[in-house]
Amino acid sequence: MAHQAHAYHMVDPSPWPLTGAIAALLLTSGTAIWFHFHSLVLVTAGMILLILTMIQWWRDIIREGTFQGHHTPPVQKGLRYGMILFITSEVFFFLGFFWAFYHSSLAPTPELGGCWPPTGIITLDPFEVPLLNTAVLLASGVTVTWAHHSIMEGERKQAIQSLTLTILLGFYFTFLQAMEYYEAPFTIADGVYGSTFFVATGFHGLHVIIGSTFLAVCLLRQIQYHFTSQHHFGFEAAAWYWHFVDVVWLFLYVSIYWWGS
Amino acid sequence: MAEDIATKLQNYRTAPFDARFPNQNQTRNCFYNYLDYHRCQKSLDAKGVDTAPCDWYKRVYKSLCPMSWIQKWDDQRAEGTFPGKI
Repeated sequence: MAHQAHAYHMVDPSPWPLTGAIAALLLTSGTAIWFHFHSLVLVTAGMILLILTMIQWWRDIIREGTFQGHHTPPVQKGLRYGMILFITSEVFFFLGFFWAFYHSSLAPTPELGGCWPPTGIITLDPFEVPLLNTAVLLASGVTVTWAHHSIMEGERKQAIQSLTLTILLGFYFTFLQAMEYYEAPFTIADGVYGSTFFVATGFHGLHVIIGSTFLAVCLLRQIQYHFTSQHHFGFEAAAWYWHFVDVVWLFLYVSIYWWGS
Repeated sequence: MAEDIATKLQNYRTAPFDARFPNQNQTRNCFYNYLDYHRCQKSLDAKGVDTAPCDWYKRVYKSLCPMSWIQKWDDQRAEGTFPGKI
């Protein structure tokens, strides 16, 4: 055909799915090698390849959408579905860890003393740093909404300010949580309490870092005039992800920090 | 059951049905009776009263619990590492 007679995006051949798959193989096998033979070579190679894949794949998507105009309304609709489905899969991921937590905490075994928190565990006070963390993430939800409205209203400077503030709040949360991890009177090895606490909050923290990175990329794109007041799906996807991270924290806070203490 | 504890203990054959633990897994039944016996001992001793009523719990947990568990918990109590609240 001389030109496409439809609004969809037939993507050009790309090496990034292959490099991504190779990275996945290196990461998984590398982790096993690290556990058994103490070598970090494979895992490091996998991490580097993964990061390079992500940078180049998403860079190409930005080129295709923002610079080449391939993201027509139907294409954008597909991207929206995709992001929603991805976030849904992440919800199920966290559901598993909440299941594990409730399984162990609703019927505590004799080994724990038949009680929750288990005997010997000194829990964190939910009304100290964890409450501050809750306030920080809720505030960041407000600032990201402010950023969205700024973008829609063409308020360039406010968009940059509110997006920057959102990212700073994200960093503040990460910093506070890192402090808590360092100062906590229990470790991941302290029975099922330690396991459920650190795996659930740990994966959440990882998602905060991922979300902050996504927002930071959006900030750079906003500064470089990528977004229009009508079309800024990359930002919307980042904002959805950020709200998801906030909601997961709220569930973590109520279940593990508050009820679980 | 107005009969006194001595009669109950005399007529004891095995652990009776306890509606608090209706299912197949009787772990909690064993554990709670073990706890209740030692809590009963501790509080009646503190009051200086005869601890004979506590023997009911002992009979029940002896009927239900695997001996290895009882041994392990006794050792933990001696060491001061028993996780239950007594």
